[in-house]
Amino acid sequence: MASTAPASTHHERPPLYRDVTVVKWVVQIIALLLTLGALWFLANQAGDNLKASNVPTDYDFLSVNPGIDLSSGIDTDPDTGGRALWVGMVNTLRMAIAGILVATVIGVLIGLSRLSNNWLLKKLGTVFVETLRNVPLLVQILFYGAVFASLDRVSLDVGPVNGWFHVSNKGLSMPRVHIADGFYQWMIVIGIGLFAANLLRKRRIAQQDLSGEETYPILSAFGLVVIFGALGWFIHPIFGFVGNIFDGLSSVVSAVPEGALQILVALLSVGTSVYWIRGFLNSRRTPAGLAKLTDDDYFRMIFAGVGGVLGAVFFLVLWPGLSSWMINSGSDLFEVLGNKFGNGRSGRPVDVALPDIVQVGKFPNYGPSGLNFSIGFAAVFFGVVFYTSAFIAEIVRGGILAVPKGQTEAAAALGLRRSTALRRVIIPQAARVMLPPLGNQYLNLTKNTSLAIAVGYSDIVQVGQTVYNQTGKTLPVVSIWMFFYLSCSLSISVIVNFFNVRMRIVER
Amino acid sequence: MSIDDATTAANDRLADRDDMIVCVDVDKFYGDFQALKGVTATIKEGEVAVVCGPSGSGKSTWIRCINRLEVHQGGDIVVDGIELTNDLRNIEKIRSEVGMVFQQFNLFPHLTVLDNITLAPIWVRKKPRAEAEGMARALLDRVGIPEQAEKFPGQLSGGQQQRVAIARSLAMEPRVMLFDEPTSALDPEMIKEVLDVMKELARSGITMMVVTHEMGFAREVADRIMFMEGGEIVEVGTPEHFFTNPTEDRTKLFLSQIL
Amino acid sequence: MQDANQVSASEEFQRGLEEGQGSPHEAPSLPVGQWLRKNLFSNWANGILTLLGALAAVVALRGVLNFVFSENRQWDAVRTNLRALMTLSYPESQYIRVWVALGFVVGLAGLSAGIWANWGGVSVRRISTWLMGTGALLALCVIVREPSVILGSDGKVIRTVDGSLRRESFMDAMADRSTWWLAAVLLLAVGAALWSRFSDPARRRIEVSVTSVVFVGLGLAILSLWIAPYGHYAYISATKSYVAESGRTVAFSTKMPWTVMLILLSGFFFVGRFFQRGRYLGLVKGSSNVLWLISPLTLFWVVLRDPALDYGHVISTDLPMGLAFGLLGGALLWGLTRSDIGEAGRITATVLLVFAVFNWVAAFFGWYPMLQKARISFLLLALAALLAPNFIGEVAKRRQLVLGWVGVTALVHYLATMINTPSTVELQSTEFLGGLGLTLFVALIVVLLSFPLGVLLALGRTSKFPIFRMLSTSYIEVIRGVPLISVLIFFSVMVPLFLPDGMELAELAAVLTGYTLFSAAYLAENVRGGLQSITKGQYEAADAIGLTSAQRTGFIVLPQALTVSIPQLVGQVISTFKETSLLAIIGLFDFLRVANSVIPAQSEFMGVKREGILLVAMIYFFFNFTISKYSQRLERRVGLGER
Repeated sequence: MASTAPASTHHERPPLYRDVTVVKWVVQIIALLLTLGALWFLANQAGDNLKASNVPTDYDFLSVNPGIDLSSGIDTDPDTGGRALWVGMVNTLRMAIAGILVATVIGVLIGLSRLSNNWLLKKLGTVFVETLRNVPLLVQILFYGAVFASLDRVSLDVGPVNGWFHVSNKGLSMPRVHIADGFYQWMIVIGIGLFAANLLRKRRIAQQDLSGEETYPILSAFGLVVIFGALGWFIHPIFGFVGNIFDGLSSVVSAVPEGALQILVALLSVGTSVYWIRGFLNSRRTPAGLAKLTDDDYFRMIFAGVGGVLGAVFFLVLWPGLSSWMINSGSDLFEVLGNKFGNGRSGRPVDVALPDIVQVGKFPNYGPSGLNFSIGFAAVFFGVVFYTSAFIAEIVRGGILAVPKGQTEAAAALGLRRSTALRRVIIPQAARVMLPPLGNQYLNLTKNTSLAIAVGYSDIVQVGQTVYNQTGKTLPVVSIWMFFYLSCSLSISVIVNFFNVRMRIVER
Repeated sequence: MSIDDATTAANDRLADRDDMIVCVDVDKFYGDFQALKGVTATIKEGEVAVVCGPSGSGKSTWIRCINRLEVHQGGDIVVDGIELTNDLRNIEKIRSEVGMVFQQFNLFPHLTVLDNITLAPIWVRKKPRAEAEGMARALLDRVGIPEQAEKFPGQLSGGQQQRVAIARSLAMEPRVMLFDEPTSALDPEMIKEVLDVMKELARSGITMMVVTHEMGFAREVADRIMFMEGGEIVEVGTPEHFFTNPTEDRTKLFLSQIL
Repeated sequence: MQDANQVSASEEFQRGLEEGQGSPHEAPSLPVGQWLRKNLFSNWANGILTLLGALAAVVALRGVLNFVFSENRQWDAVRTNLRALMTLSYPESQYIRVWVALGFVVGLAGLSAGIWANWGGVSVRRISTWLMGTGALLALCVIVREPSVILGSDGKVIRTVDGSLRRESFMDAMADRSTWWLAAVLLLAVGAALWSRFSDPARRRIEVSVTSVVFVGLGLAILSLWIAPYGHYAYISATKSYVAESGRTVAFSTKMPWTVMLILLSGFFFVGRFFQRGRYLGLVKGSSNVLWLISPLTLFWVVLRDPALDYGHVISTDLPMGLAFGLLGGALLWGLTRSDIGEAGRITATVLLVFAVFNWVAAFFGWYPMLQKARISFLLLALAALLAPNFIGEVAKRRQLVLGWVGVTALVHYLATMINTPSTVELQSTEFLGGLGLTLFVALIVVLLSFPLGVLLALGRTSKFPIFRMLSTSYIEVIRGVPLISVLIFFSVMVPLFLPDGMELAELAAVLTGYTLFSAAYLAENVRGGLQSITKGQYEAADAIGLTSAQRTGFIVLPQALTVSIPQLVGQVISTFKETSLLAIIGLFDFLRVANSVIPAQSEFMGVKREGILLVAMIYFFFNFTISKYSQRLERRVGLGER
């Protein structure tokens, strides 16, 4: 009697327009098609319009001399458009990395001062944070730029420390510590030192665990690195032979046939998706056989499969030039490395150069010797550093406040010293809260360097704008911007995620 | 004693009633974990069925499959002659015929008690607001908290919240009420007030399926008790049979732990 | 580029809770000596930090004061260009329109404040500490500022042989600043008097309402316009000359409108207060909300732009069309909400939707002509028809839908007609409005438009439909990965390329589009945070009582999610406002551009940038600081209310 389900309804399929699964997928596929259609339409339109206006969208300008000068960077007179954009990217990255380091330090200090029980420090921290984060970054950058522009003329006799450190309407100049002859070989010695130091550290920790006596693992490891560094200063020329190895690698890479690499890349693409699908199916396998798959599961597998095949098609058909590019650049890379480690390099690894001043036409300016920061760099740098540090201060403060009071009390009840409690209990928990928003701020800082365009510092956006003003290739330049910034975002989130995951494992 | 025997041996009162919920060989997987293994049972119109068992035995999963909060992957579920398939219309129908009360109440915290109760009658049943409010007040009266209509759920005690949740389900005038551990999240002194409401409901003749650990309630009002373990129904019987001479060892073990 | 203003907000909220419901400032006050020891000199390290901090503070303050009051500053550049900073090229002859628009907003603000605001009170003792604090700070400022430069008889600075400036002696400087001293002493004295008078336990808790403090403050400020000699400054664009007469009160054309503004603000505030207790509160609340929503559009396109209506066309085309859509559409919706409509309703709505979308496709390809208004109306009608099943039932509910439709139709047709009519304002540049007006307009429009888009994207990203999720996620992540400036440049340069032949989009519209699309991605992330805080049980309960997924989203999920994400949304509004400064880079004349490029190009103020930028910074700071403080207060109150 229990199984007398009404036969009429048994396994009857509903009409298509009322079937949940069918409706769900039809709606989604229509949405997808509409989106793709709209994109296709826009791209088509843009193509037509570009053709009509006689501006072809190709990337030829990357290898043509753009005839532009850059205000600052590793190469202020680039000979190709690609080189110019490259200089812009380096400038952006330089600004971003320096900014992130300095902003973190300032931000942490301000954040801690807002938490201190000293009334004055707390108020000063609040004023700093509230002022800087409520004024738009661009306004701050323009203000700093205007202030720098109104400083005195350049002169070696004027500057906070004459001959060493100068501030003027041409920006800042200070001694430059630069890579010299034997640097890369020296780095090999230091690398060996780091490896040895790590071994030493582990050994010392093991000893300490065994005997319970303090063995100073970090200190001794650090000492070992210093010893290796000092030793390497003198013996680095013995690593000259590494250059030959790289030269050899360069010729090996250039001998790789293009077709083979192409097929390898395509296979890799298909292989990855097959591997993923197999892994996915395995995760759905039960002792009683394959579990019933939902339509989402099928979607994922189809998506992965199509992605893999599309990747292969892309490498084989749409962009066959990739393999030759990979081979050339790989062999070039090894050749450059070979030069860096050349046998003849035996000079000092690192050198210092003091600022100098040269006459450019009628006006004096900083010469190439010292480490110079143009007004643009200084304005953008101070702008992003102060602005971001205000946000970092809030994150630090929020993170520490987020640790419940009970944790401090529990640590105290266990008899931990305040410093130990901070190091072992409070900071690990606060860091976990702080890390994701901190990563976000680093990302923001990187993107904010694009405001350099307002004060003429040659970052990627400013260089890009100059390039497309010269060549009219707006779309390619914009695509390069997008690609560059998306890669930056991706790398920062990968790094942040790495630490995030580590932090969690450490905690558990 | 097989499950089918127990089903037919259930309370005579229900022998000639129609089937309300019919489950045949219901399977449910979470990834590679099988939560329900061929669950087969029939619940008659007006029957009060109590499902018990240790945690993780699949009883909540089963009850949630019955109004399709979870989608079963094998077997058939038929509620009041409507089969639970992918048919949109069937799902709509079943949702409005089956009321459900949750362990965590799940009241809408941003709406007043009255709005919580009238929301579905107005927007699903398309009732005029005045009528819906009148019914809501009557239901609040029935569950014993007529004076709380204008308050927000956050201002009520757990027991009061659960009673509002029951009123909210009843407002749809369901033919079946499902209770998913309705008293597990309550403080001991509030359990009774909720159980009293449920007992009153049981006597009113509505079909009820209750997942609970309250054995006193089961003994008093259940027509049948089903014991589940490991995703299967292990034993079915009247309260008398169940509490006095359970046949299965697993049932005995469970009863010895819980009583 | 977006940021997290909300971090502090939620913490303050947390701490507010910990400190209990009462005012957190009622801790028994310590004697000065003990207070100093406890808060500044509790131990050696702390004492040294205090001294260093004090030194840094004084040096910074001195730097700022010397900068602001330096003889080299040309504040005239800002004073004479105030109007340019606010509205740039808006013609003098029609300036009354700017005041009318502002007056409308001010009146509306007063009304809303009257209805909603319940700012509570502030104790007289706190006011007295503010007064004393201000007095002390003023005295400190007077002392630390370096002595003035001595001016020669020709009004120019005198330089010594080595080029440095000659300054008066310290005592002379103090004597010169006697007015400031007087003010500082007065503030200190009044503060101290209040403090001592209200120090006994009985009077300690006496409070005055914040509202009256604000109104007294505003009143005093406006009154000073009539009395204090702020000076009369103006830039006359016609002759490119400027007026700078110090020692006078401000121009009548400045002080009179501001006085009217104060009267409007306070008048409507009391109107709001009156309705707060009355029967029509719901109606007034609703209409003030609607006014807030439509006022940016109306003020910008109707009041400020003063469209030249062609009444013949209005009567022959616009009016009949609006009436037809309103009445026929209303009739259709009335029919669609019949209780016996069944499947026919859904089919009608779908057919309408297909037809409406097809009209837009046809527009892109130019298959057949149709007024844009009709296309928009058909689309809106299709959406209303899709919503219709929710309103099936009693007559009141059906009437709600029909009346809503008629209202929306009227508004859309009115605005569309106005926007399509050419402006009568004599343009002096490409955009008829610039300066702060443009900044505020862009910020408002972007916030208004990006809100629905952001919510949709957030719903897409949290949807259980994989393709929707994929599309929204990739959109959000790509947009969030690139800087705003590249998006803006892309839109201002590229949009003309994407449009079909014959379609044009003004620079401002292109930028608004780009900025809205950008802002929506960030807003979506904020809303997503709120969506994720909704427990699974809420979804299940909504399903279990039979709500459709649209009803579940609209009645259960979104109201809760949006409430939770209020702090983040306010942070987003602040970010959006701050980032309107980027308009200056892509060639729109917002007030930063005026300060950074327009003023420094005037012959009298060649290269004078810092003063203007500083003023811009102060205005941005004022707006953002006020918004964030208000949202913190609001949040604390909402949070406490729920408990």
